[in-house]
Amino acid sequence: MKRMIVILLRNPLSLLGLILVLLVLILAVFADFIAPFPDHRGAVIDFVHFNKPPTSRNIFGSDLVGRDLFSRVIYAYRISLILGVVVLAIATPVGTVVGLLAGYLGGKFEFVLMRLTDVFLSIPPLVLAIAMMGVLEPTLLNAMLAVTVMWWPWYARLVYNIARSEREEGYVLAAEVIGASTFHITFREILPNCLPAIITKMTLDMGFVIIIVSSLSFLGLGVQPPTPDLGSMVAEGARYLPDSWWLTVFPGLAILVAVFGFNLIGDALREIFGADQ
Amino acid sequence: MPPVFRLLLNRLGISFIVLVGVSMLIFGIARIIPGDPARIALGPNATVEQIDKLRETLHLNDSIFVQYGYFLSDLSRGDLGVSLYTNRPVTQDIAQFLPATLELVFFAGVMMVGIGLPLGIWSARYRGRWPDHVIRLLSLLGVSAPSFVWAVILMLVFAFYLPIFPIAGRISDSYEIQRFTGFLLIDTLLAGDFSAFSDALSHIILPAFALALSGIGQAARLTRANMVETYDKPYIEMAQAYGFKARRIANKFAFKPSLIPSLTIIGLDFAAMLGNAFLVEAVFAWPGLSRYGVAVILRKDLNAIIGTVLIISATFLIVNLIVDLMIAFLNPRIRYSERGST
Amino acid sequence: MKYWKTTLAAGLMAATSLTAPAFAGGVLRLDEVAVGELDPAKASDYADSILMFNVYDTLVLPVQGGPGHAPHLATSWTNEGNSFTFTLRTDVKFQSGNPMTADDVVYSVERMKALGAGLSYLLGVVENVEAVDATTVRFDLSSSYAPFVASLVRLPIVDKALVEANKGDGEWGEAFLSGNGAGTGAYTVKSHNPQDETVMDKNDGYFLGVADAAPDTVRLRYGLEAATVRTLIAQGEHDISSQWLPPEVMGALAKEGAQLFTESGTGAFYFKMNTTKAPLDDPNCRLALSAAFDYGTAIKMIAINDEVSSGSPASGAIPMGMFGANDASMVQVQDLDAAKAHLAACQYDVADMDIEVSWIAEVPLEERLALLMQSNLTALGVKSHIKKLPWALFTEAVAKPENTPHISQLFVNAVTGDPDTLLYGMYHSSTPGTWQSPEYLSDASVDEYLDAGRNAATAEGRQEAYTMLNARLMEIAPTIYAFDRQSVFAASDRVTAPALTDASQAFGLDGMGFSFRLMQVTE
Repeated sequence: MKRMIVILLRNPLSLLGLILVLLVLILAVFADFIAPFPDHRGAVIDFVHFNKPPTSRNIFGSDLVGRDLFSRVIYAYRISLILGVVVLAIATPVGTVVGLLAGYLGGKFEFVLMRLTDVFLSIPPLVLAIAMMGVLEPTLLNAMLAVTVMWWPWYARLVYNIARSEREEGYVLAAEVIGASTFHITFREILPNCLPAIITKMTLDMGFVIIIVSSLSFLGLGVQPPTPDLGSMVAEGARYLPDSWWLTVFPGLAILVAVFGFNLIGDALREIFGADQ
Repeated sequence: MPPVFRLLLNRLGISFIVLVGVSMLIFGIARIIPGDPARIALGPNATVEQIDKLRETLHLNDSIFVQYGYFLSDLSRGDLGVSLYTNRPVTQDIAQFLPATLELVFFAGVMMVGIGLPLGIWSARYRGRWPDHVIRLLSLLGVSAPSFVWAVILMLVFAFYLPIFPIAGRISDSYEIQRFTGFLLIDTLLAGDFSAFSDALSHIILPAFALALSGIGQAARLTRANMVETYDKPYIEMAQAYGFKARRIANKFAFKPSLIPSLTIIGLDFAAMLGNAFLVEAVFAWPGLSRYGVAVILRKDLNAIIGTVLIISATFLIVNLIVDLMIAFLNPRIRYSERGST
Repeated sequence: MKYWKTTLAAGLMAATSLTAPAFAGGVLRLDEVAVGELDPAKASDYADSILMFNVYDTLVLPVQGGPGHAPHLATSWTNEGNSFTFTLRTDVKFQSGNPMTADDVVYSVERMKALGAGLSYLLGVVENVEAVDATTVRFDLSSSYAPFVASLVRLPIVDKALVEANKGDGEWGEAFLSGNGAGTGAYTVKSHNPQDETVMDKNDGYFLGVADAAPDTVRLRYGLEAATVRTLIAQGEHDISSQWLPPEVMGALAKEGAQLFTESGTGAFYFKMNTTKAPLDDPNCRLALSAAFDYGTAIKMIAINDEVSSGSPASGAIPMGMFGANDASMVQVQDLDAAKAHLAACQYDVADMDIEVSWIAEVPLEERLALLMQSNLTALGVKSHIKKLPWALFTEAVAKPENTPHISQLFVNAVTGDPDTLLYGMYHSSTPGTWQSPEYLSDASVDEYLDAGRNAATAEGRQEAYTMLNARLMEIAPTIYAFDRQSVFAASDRVTAPALTDASQAFGLDGMGFSFRLMQVTE
């Protein structure tokens, strides 16, 4: 662990990633103290300052009802991060268990589970989430649900592939010979070998979840106003191009910064774990 | 039976099972939509009698299993029902909008391969040196933003500030092109109208590039990673020892084995692009299936939702099938293997 | 009346790149929200109306710049009790070449009533229609109905012979008419795709003739994004925007020299309160909300520039310019003290309130108005939340009072220009549960005044009935009358459209100003 952090800090790219992710985390966690206008995350109207380009008062400019865009971007980060954590916290264990069982047990179990994941994976990810949001009321909770449903098969696939190759390995066979339970073999023997891949994928996926969620709200199927959300800010602002460019450019760059940060770290992790194995 | 045929049959069988699964999934989702599709379809001024009549016609009063049965029997006749939003057969709507989306996605796919692979090769060849760092950073940036952000940024820069490209649509309305394939880039060439072709080309470049950017990044990263791995193999070291030109080594020895994993990812990225087209089409007013899809989802137009998702999934499966076959042809181990792959 | 349909809807746009060749003379390019419904019996939205008024004609037309109606396909009409007899012109030919006769009028009425779509309810009062001879048609009404002649501006005459010849499977040729024109109008349909574009050509055989300067070809495009329209107009590649372009964008265009066309006097913007749901079933609560709303800021929000705005202050329940409207001295203003007093009189506890404010997803401006409403409610200490509803789901939700939000935002206008078509469907207790009546109002005096306005024999009688109605509505406040609506369109300087710029030529009927034959385009 300590060695990992040292490696992360030594590589300029992963250092940049750490800085970006920390920045985003700090902004999101301490939004109440950092945002110049904390109440602007809700329904506030300020007609003196509406639709203004960046100034020293509103460094990202102000939106169409006069709210400070910088404050709203900060609060939107908070929502994006919560969504990302929750989605991964559900999708990862579910997918991992399905993948482990299918990979280790094989047989009919394998066929059914893997065809099930095939069904989910053969609907382009965003299309499935969009179709689900068409059914559900567009709320924060449902957006989480829709994205989670499309996410778990990827973990199932990943873990399945590893588990399938591991099940012929000596240590697994040895455990079988001494009569270890299926539970023990899957979770105690095989799972630890999947962890590096899972952790790497989770870091990269943090960025992807932010992308997918913002895509949903870009289409009007995600978090609803007045709750600030990066995707809906871009969608809303795009109507006012090119005159009010700040309405789209800053929220768009905000997505880029956060996802880029997670991707840089994920990349570095992949190299570290890759080198380890 | 030649192994490739067996593989093809195996794949087709699985694709069929998957499609049936998709149809059940989407059918289930579409039927639990809250709200009465008949009322929504008939609009604000419809009477109760009209609504009841339409419910009867649409079999909405039957159980979901009976409804699915009707759906399957209609489907077997190539009938996806009537869109309640456009009042036209869903197949007709899809036939009209699908070519625009496919043209966009294919063009983006060409960009992904045509730009992403060379960047990856280049990056691997100069690994550890500055072109490698620049390419890696750029390709990571490419995958770090949703395509609608790229679409908006590209539009702002190359259509508003530097008006090089048109901001929306597929072709200028002063051109009247006979539609044979629905792919304007092909139809304009078939008509021999080169100014129309360049017009259509200028329309597709920005949206396709916005759509392709993350794929380009992905392809470049992957190709690089695979090639770097290959570079460490003994036969490359041998080729280097023999004094082959670096470029020849890169293109001939290091690239080829790296192509197979890259192709797999390209198939997956194609799927992502079919979904991301929803975002890019919205920004560039591209008259494709995705815009239609969003419209029908917002209107709870059941037949159209099911039809759209089924067609997109079928397209995706077909592309993956083609990718699998290409891999099979490229990889002698699979080509000659008796078992095929699962 | 509802013109919002999603801008996400698939719609072909065809922009011109800089390398494209210049246009041939006389093309007019405009846009509307998708979908464009070409079947005149199903027309109800703005795009549909534009199509209908150009491809089809009606028996009468509103008098330009004044009240009343003038003969159009008819030459004259007489009225005896509940029976109206129209004499038709003899020189009118359909675009197909068939002559227009009384049979076609009868067929058009029957078709519209049988399909029961669009605005066919306006003809609900017609019990019987009969071709007395080839040029005479008699309508027998089931009861007296003062706005009958006004409602005929919504009766497009279709070519019976052509439809019958092409009717295919359907009894009423729906498939044919949803893709083809069959009218007498000044423009013929060259191609039509409901989500993409309708191309129309000038009809040289039009019975009134069409001026040379009128556009030769019209391209009506559907579902363009605001940013697209804004750029196309600036680049001279688009001519008239839809009215749903946000005010800021219109303002930016006007600053660069675009014209602003307007249509006014037929409708208003409303916050409609569900009078069956607590706490809004108590009139005191509704009055509190009405007084708390910041009317002045709303007007600022919809202003395009210093001269033109998408609305003007409302003086009461009836838009200024209609029968029974209050005069300008009674303009609505925010009064927080009065609001607090009303709230104190309300039987419900402020702490228990959570008001649901909905907005129509297809009209982004409403989101801002919802935010304004929310901040006004906060000033009263009332909690609220905002809900976005796509139009299709909104119309479905309002079918039941319990699903109807506390507050629904709506633009409504009189489809025939008559106050009856604006107010009867909104407030009469016999017509709840439609998209225009999410108030679910049931009030005996309101019903009485509405019936009086509908049946009064004289204009004075109607005036009096609507004045009483206005007063009663302000007293029980089912609705917050936010502002009187003015539709604004940004247009390039190559278009001249007197019916949309000169009050003395205005029709007072939404969409009618887009009669292309009355427009001019220059190169």
